[in-house]
Amino acid sequence: MTLTGEFFAFMSLALVAVIGGVLLLNLTKVIHMVVALVFTFVSIAGIYVLLSAEFVAVVQVMIYSGAITIIMLFGIMLTRHHGEEAEPKGGGLRKLLLFLGVLGFGAAVYLGIYDLNFEAVPNTLHENNTEQIGISLYSQYIIPFELTSVILLVALVGAIVLARKDDEKEGDKE
Amino acid sequence: MSSVPVSAFLALALILFCIGLYGALTKRNTVIVLISIELMLNAVNINLVTFSKYGVNPSITGQVFALFAIAVAAAEAAVGLAILIALYRNRRTVNIDEMNQLKN
Amino acid sequence: MENAWLIPLFPLVSFLLLLLFGKKLKEASAFVGILATLASLVYSILVLLERLSEPTYKAETVWLTIGDLQLTAGFEVNQLNALMLVIVSLVSFLVHTYSKGYMHGDERIPVFYAYLGLFTFAMLGLVISPNLLQTYIFWELVGVGSFLLIGFYFYKESAKAAAKKAFIMTRIGDVGLLIGMILLFWQTGSFEYDEIFAAVEEGAVSGTMITLTAILIFIGAVGKSGQFPLHTWLPDAMEGPTPVSALIHAATMVAAGVYLVASMFPLFNASETAMLTVAIIGAFTAIFAATIGLVQTDIKRVLAFSTVSQLGYMMLALGSAGYVAGVFHLMTHAFFKALLFLAAGSVIHAVHTQDIEKMGGLWKKLTFTGPLFLIGTLAISGVPLFSGFFSKDEILIAAWAHGNYGLFWLAVIAAFFTAFYMFRLFFMVFSGEARSEMKNVHESPSVMTLPMVVLAVLAVVAGYVNTPWFGSFLGDWLVEGNEALGHGHIAGPGWIMIVATAVSLLGILLAWMMYSKKSISRDWLSSRAPIVYGIVKNKYYIDEIYNQTVVFGAKAISLFLRFIEIFLVEGIVKLTTAAVQALGKTGAKIHSGQVQTYGTIAFVGLAVLMVIFALTGGYL
Repeated sequence: MTLTGEFFAFMSLALVAVIGGVLLLNLTKVIHMVVALVFTFVSIAGIYVLLSAEFVAVVQVMIYSGAITIIMLFGIMLTRHHGEEAEPKGGGLRKLLLFLGVLGFGAAVYLGIYDLNFEAVPNTLHENNTEQIGISLYSQYIIPFELTSVILLVALVGAIVLARKDDEKEGDKE
Repeated sequence: MSSVPVSAFLALALILFCIGLYGALTKRNTVIVLISIELMLNAVNINLVTFSKYGVNPSITGQVFALFAIAVAAAEAAVGLAILIALYRNRRTVNIDEMNQLKN
Repeated sequence: MENAWLIPLFPLVSFLLLLLFGKKLKEASAFVGILATLASLVYSILVLLERLSEPTYKAETVWLTIGDLQLTAGFEVNQLNALMLVIVSLVSFLVHTYSKGYMHGDERIPVFYAYLGLFTFAMLGLVISPNLLQTYIFWELVGVGSFLLIGFYFYKESAKAAAKKAFIMTRIGDVGLLIGMILLFWQTGSFEYDEIFAAVEEGAVSGTMITLTAILIFIGAVGKSGQFPLHTWLPDAMEGPTPVSALIHAATMVAAGVYLVASMFPLFNASETAMLTVAIIGAFTAIFAATIGLVQTDIKRVLAFSTVSQLGYMMLALGSAGYVAGVFHLMTHAFFKALLFLAAGSVIHAVHTQDIEKMGGLWKKLTFTGPLFLIGTLAISGVPLFSGFFSKDEILIAAWAHGNYGLFWLAVIAAFFTAFYMFRLFFMVFSGEARSEMKNVHESPSVMTLPMVVLAVLAVVAGYVNTPWFGSFLGDWLVEGNEALGHGHIAGPGWIMIVATAVSLLGILLAWMMYSKKSISRDWLSSRAPIVYGIVKNKYYIDEIYNQTVVFGAKAISLFLRFIEIFLVEGIVKLTTAAVQALGKTGAKIHSGQVQTYGTIAFVGLAVLMVIFALTGGYL
């Protein structure tokens, strides 16, 4: 493994992503957590670029760093907060158990992937990436694509119905 | 060829997934729980994209799949937040400890 | 005769009625019991009369079907059964009547009569059972009835202990019976008496097996009939109310052992060893119990040991092929021993003590009881013209004719002892000076004396159904149509009767000289051979020996088991409950309704599985 630019880029992006994740776990203020996670999302977009998935990277930035983060911030603002994550009471044992479980899970999975190395196959993903995706989406995956639009519509309607005030709903009934 | 091994990407995805999982199961603020779940989905997306480039059979399908996942995740975030708002209106709290209706 | 099965049902109905309504009926519940047993008695007599002219009747229905095997239940009226029916229902009826007076004023009269009903039902059921299995069921029921009645005064420690002792001691015998029964079933494939006897006669069962089963069944009889070495419960059983002693521990239940041997007689007869065992045990018990009876001072215990001794006589008779003699003595004994017990009860009722040392001079005060007691005493002592004389004579002849000369002489000595201790009892209670503390002695009410009169009449005349002088009617009838049972009358040398009469008269004379005339000091034996006296007085220390060996051993084992119980079994049990409790509590805690907890549990489970997979060689 040589110290190429690609490696350097990966290492720094990965570092930022992991730091963002760790901060999410350790920060006390909710807003700060969300902001820490934005770093992670952006770094992941960078990782996508490294993996010759420019379009996905752009989508990542737009959807995650943009839309979802904003939605979450709205959620935080719409609900009342003490601003800080309250200390859980008596959940110490559960946390420990979960930590051990996560550690075991990670170790078990890592055991399966650490020396994974496929025969490198030359590919052309980086050439006209967006075009390739478009062709694929509108030919091979047209039906799932359309179904996704239905899902988004349902989610939209559902979200509105759920978030609407109850008394209005009752008023509708009458 | 690439100087970064496949396992490095996968390991990064694994770490992020574990962080997301831990957060989702320990954080008491419902919003953070939702965000943690988004993080887990992101880790999965990294895997998909990685295999799309370095897999046994590299193709664009992995990226398309990641896009679908992002779309569904967005929808999920929207619905999740709507539920959160509705819940908050009823219970005046976002503290997950106090949401124990399953018990009764 | 077709409806003979109704006979046991009357007392059962009485039992059930009293269980249900006893509390309301109070003392009137006595009438329920009396009426029920009267019905049984009348019916039994009718059946007996019918049986005199008609052949054996047997009715059975299939009870259980197991594969090819059919177990039947039903009833049989043969000579022995018909006779037993009358004896049991008669004594039971008289005891029921007598108890009306004896138990007067007791709060638990309904319970008492309910128990009596249960016992009578079981006993009547026992004597009409056509097969061993049914016999065994009623056999145990009889044991239960006896247990309940001995422990009737359950607030008395001694009564409780006696009840338990009786139950456990007879149970030892019952195990023998059960094993013998199972062996017989294994060998012959049937519980039916007829089929067993047929198989034995055909030689389908090997000689050793016959001996073995016969002795095992005899062990059951030993337990129930209080034969040596399982006799110790019978004297203790006198803790029960006196009418109960008369019914159960004199006339009926203890006779069940004799009845069992009698009804299994063809089996015993097929094995010389078994017969000899029965005869030896019988003779030994007869003399053994008689010697103990010589020195007892409790009126009921004297009678109890006398019962043991007389039962030994019956066993001796059966063991000497004297089927008729055994059954005959069973019948006469039932009458005169019941009479003696009821009379003793009457005495106790009058003076409120059981210690004969404190009694005396009651002859003039108890004008009914005294003569009645005397009749019973004369009968049991074998004085000529009374029933006991004839039946005892038959036994002695049977023993002689069978060639058991040693046992014959033992029986003669036992007869001497019997006459002696019975008259010792009689003289100590009724003759001599009245004690000062016996002031307000009064005769028992007629409801108590009448049954005694009936029994007294029977005690005198019952012997005449089978005498060497007027024909052996009973004997001929009993063995009619069944050669296996032997002859109705066994001819014996004439001098036996003279010897028997002589020894009984000698015994009476000695007792009279010692206790009435006092020409021989009462301490004659105890002062000359205090050790012998002490041994006999303490019933040969049998109880003590049992306590030291069997009971001690059992206690040691049970102590050991108790430790295992406490530390091992209970430990495991407690651990199990604690584990389950902890699990439950954890479970309840986990079910907090919080999604994250559920998620954690589910995920940790998954993680554990994955780690296990990873460690055991990768992903399966």
